[in-house]
Amino acid sequence: MSAIKSSWVNFLRQYGPIPQNDNMYDETIQSILRKKKVTPIRIDMEYLDELVENFKSVNPYSVILTGTAGDGKTYYCREIWKRLGGSEVKWAENNKIEELVVNDYKVIFIKDLSELLEDEREILSTMADSIMGVENRTVFLVAANDGQLLETWKMVNQTYNVIDTKKCIEDLLVEGKKEQIGYLIKLYNLSKTNSANLLPKIIKEVLNNPGWEECNNCPLNNSNETLCPIIENKKRLEEENSLITKRLVDLLTLCEINEIHMPLRQLLLLVSNMLLGHPDVRDKLLKCSDISKINENNTTYLASIYRNIFGENLSERKRNSTDIFVTLNKFGIGSETNTLVDNILIFGEDDQEYYELYEQLVLLDQQYGADKVFISEKKAYLEGDVEDKDNFLEMLKSQRQRLFFVIPEKLVDRLNLWNLTTFQYAGEFLDQVYRVLKENQRVKPQYLTRLVRGLNRITTGLLVQNNDQLILSTSGNYSQAKISRVLEEMVSVSPKRGEYIKFDMGEDKQRLNLTVSFASDLEPVRLNLQLVRYEFISRVAEGALPGSFSRECYEDILAFKSRLLKKLDDRRLADGELEEAQISLKLLKVNDKGIVEHKTLEVF
Amino acid sequence: MLNTLPRTSNNIKSDFWVDEAIWGHRLYDEQTPWLCLMEFMGVLNSECERARAFMEQEYNTLAYSPYTRIYLRNILFNNPFMEIVYRDYQATNDEQKAWSDWIKLAEQNFGGSDYPNLSYLKENFDTFDKFYETVKFLQSNTIEGENNKRWSSQFIFPYGKECLYEDLRVNGNKVQNDRRFFGRTGELLYLMLSRSTKGEELLSFLEPNIINSKSIYNRLAQLLQPNYGKAEVARDSTGSYLPYEYLPEYTNMAEDWINIFNNKIPAYDTIPHIVNITGLHMIIYFLNRSKDVLKQSNKTQFILEILAPKKTIIRDLASDSYINNNNLSRQALEHYIRSIKETEEWKSLQSFPDPFFEAQKLLNRQFLWPSNNDDLLSENIDSLVEELVDKAIARHKQHVNNFHRVWGREIGFSSSRNSQRIRYAPTDSLLKTLVLANVPERMEFQDFLKKLFEKYGFIIGDKEATEVINSGQADQEAFSDNSQRLEQRLSSMGLLRRLSDACAYVENPFAKDGV
Repeated sequence: MSAIKSSWVNFLRQYGPIPQNDNMYDETIQSILRKKKVTPIRIDMEYLDELVENFKSVNPYSVILTGTAGDGKTYYCREIWKRLGGSEVKWAENNKIEELVVNDYKVIFIKDLSELLEDEREILSTMADSIMGVENRTVFLVAANDGQLLETWKMVNQTYNVIDTKKCIEDLLVEGKKEQIGYLIKLYNLSKTNSANLLPKIIKEVLNNPGWEECNNCPLNNSNETLCPIIENKKRLEEENSLITKRLVDLLTLCEINEIHMPLRQLLLLVSNMLLGHPDVRDKLLKCSDISKINENNTTYLASIYRNIFGENLSERKRNSTDIFVTLNKFGIGSETNTLVDNILIFGEDDQEYYELYEQLVLLDQQYGADKVFISEKKAYLEGDVEDKDNFLEMLKSQRQRLFFVIPEKLVDRLNLWNLTTFQYAGEFLDQVYRVLKENQRVKPQYLTRLVRGLNRITTGLLVQNNDQLILSTSGNYSQAKISRVLEEMVSVSPKRGEYIKFDMGEDKQRLNLTVSFASDLEPVRLNLQLVRYEFISRVAEGALPGSFSRECYEDILAFKSRLLKKLDDRRLADGELEEAQISLKLLKVNDKGIVEHKTLEVF
Repeated sequence: MLNTLPRTSNNIKSDFWVDEAIWGHRLYDEQTPWLCLMEFMGVLNSECERARAFMEQEYNTLAYSPYTRIYLRNILFNNPFMEIVYRDYQATNDEQKAWSDWIKLAEQNFGGSDYPNLSYLKENFDTFDKFYETVKFLQSNTIEGENNKRWSSQFIFPYGKECLYEDLRVNGNKVQNDRRFFGRTGELLYLMLSRSTKGEELLSFLEPNIINSKSIYNRLAQLLQPNYGKAEVARDSTGSYLPYEYLPEYTNMAEDWINIFNNKIPAYDTIPHIVNITGLHMIIYFLNRSKDVLKQSNKTQFILEILAPKKTIIRDLASDSYINNNNLSRQALEHYIRSIKETEEWKSLQSFPDPFFEAQKLLNRQFLWPSNNDDLLSENIDSLVEELVDKAIARHKQHVNNFHRVWGREIGFSSSRNSQRIRYAPTDSLLKTLVLANVPERMEFQDFLKKLFEKYGFIIGDKEATEVINSGQADQEAFSDNSQRLEQRLSSMGLLRRLSDACAYVENPFAKDGV
């Protein structure tokens, strides 16, 4: 019984973490598509219409497309070229620079800025003139890796226009803006495309590819003896209201809030690896011909989609050098757990208390849950006759990874789903804070007051309970001191004479801030609140702080404190409160209930 | 070697003049960077009072008068019975008794004055409780708190001039300036900044914000002193010697001070960074002078390991680089003495009837050694030089030689963490200082590395390590991993923002208001 060799599976494999990852480049895909008859993966392009519109308009702007490798820059260029009437044959000649006349303008395409040689680079001088408004009837479309973008501009002969343009591009890039008044340029940072939005589209596109039809006739899928893990993985991904997609989107959203962006090509790599990964085959990605062998060896369970999501099929070295897996593994899924989940997995079979959940979460999944290898290893582990328990612990890790993607919504709270990650407060942060704000709704006050309590503890270094006021204190000689007992001011959480503390969201609907206002006519101070900081502050507020966190965030919070103190100085200045006139010093004391009181020292 | 300024008559007291000739009088290892700054503040305050801060009329004629503030120091640091009296007071609530008990004990144990009178305290504080809290508070702001130095070498944070005083030895009612911890390194610092051409700019920050600060903390310290801290100063302190009229190192240091002052942080928060950066510039000065004597014209360099969890090739290189630099001062010293043998004067000694005597005269002119009462072991002129080398090295090893090691550790520049050997491995605190001193707002990460290399000779990333890499001691990857570790460290400290794989910016969070 031999499997059908699907050229679609082979094509999809090319997107995976194979050694020669040529797929990073649009150029290579085009040539494969021409040779094999495969329907390509098409992802709709957010900015395409807007860009084409720009070049067709009466007063077009120059455009820079930037982003990291695999963000689709070249793809955009080619599509725009075609839509503006350029010929595909001409494009395929692979010239570094192309020209096209649209209406009254000459549009110059630079396909990859970093490839320009020294003398070719001088064309940027013309570009700078055009951007600065010198009427030369020329506009540009430039694709550039963001790292090299500024580098290249530094290497051009520095005219005034070049210097101004360079500064403008740097500002746009760093501040994440698209345009700036006075400059005829738009910068599209494709790295800003939200990967959490993109992933479901990619999954859908891959699942709907007509290439899968071939599999229907494959003998492996028409027998009870055999199981094709590729199809099994595909089914799991296809399930209605797929939890896999939902939870992956959650994880990617958290990354986006953290300003960690996954380019298109990394997402494709993830999807390919999810479906095809297996540790025992060539390049760690299944081909149709591998299936019968792994079936025979009883290692089908190692193709589990839940493991593949984290790159468990790959060598450690490969995993640690692939961005998407590095990023997903930062959540510690598999290594983190809680007692309930482990009890279900280990004792569920024999313990009445856990059996129902065990049945639902483990037994019902014949392929990756109650897989026979796991069941027998578990038995041996419980009876204590294993030499090497690492193997079982490794399987336990896979089970936890699986559970993160299968625990149904209604059990999320009971099983503390997010305890399976390093970030216990991630679910709350996402659903109760971030998404609520994104919908322009009000966040429940308990989340805000908890953060205030956490901040108070961090900045004073005292175990305080206060949560309706932010305590600003110093040590008397160093605002960054571990313990700060000199009370400077209390800032009210609920609005009061211009003071307030609240969550708010940046204009881009991406950045989340904790905002502290001192007075209605002073710019508030903001702390960019991403997952790690939220987790850190929340854990401090609840009293349990793991050492590993503190190093990472403590400094951030202290820098925030410095800015708060500086703003307080500004307010004092505006109110005419002079330092010389300060006549008392308030020293913080914490009472039995953990509430701050102060002792006053008058100084005349 | 660069030309040096003449010795002043005050300097003749030394047993010989070698370290001083190269590095000045003097770099002292037991004076930590913090104490160097405190000594400096004392000098600055005195010179401000005479309206000549950072202005040197004639080279190396600095004469200043530090305060003793013996009352403040007895109350804060020679006051172990405070707690006993306070406990009693809490139980009885008897103001009168507490005051009289305490004053009695304090006056009995008072050091450095024959007839101390502490009765002014009752006027300055309504209650004993407030007095107690004030003392506790100022004690908690001791510099390098929890140290085990004698009480008369404890200092409080420099809130203002009423907090500045000199290091002393107190024996019964006698006080003596023994330079145990104020070893004149602060004087050298003062002279360097005076010759930096940036004195005025420095003063425009230091005078209002520190020396003449009216902050409440300084006023608290005033309350503990008779006459609110207004005191007479007695004698002038002289004898400082900084050998070089001008060095770019002076200006570099002054500029870093100004950069740090420009951050939007409270004035007192700049001080710890000033201490760090001063320590670094002093180390660079120390090594540069050594290299100058040795006629090594290449730039002083430091290979820095950004702390890695495992041993790396960079750790070895950083350690080698440390050892090389650490040996420079001793080599310089030997070279400096022996180079007298290259002079015409030395070569012509043989033409004198008593060359051995003439050699002694020559050596004495140059190095103040031997003097008449030195017992010489040598019998010929060559061994005379070697005798001086031995003596000078022996003295050098006691203090000056240790300067690089001790100050490096104090400012968090070198460390032996996770290793047997000391190497350059900066701490977070020093890294933060470097960002505050070098990044006006934001700076591309590679530019930051380049700047650290140009300004301080730091080798962290592969671009700066080209020479090391070309010599085959390490590959490019090792250094690029090293710079990546720095990137991660800075990012975890909120000092770096990564835009993408290829693009990261170092950001100074204190450069501006807002987010």
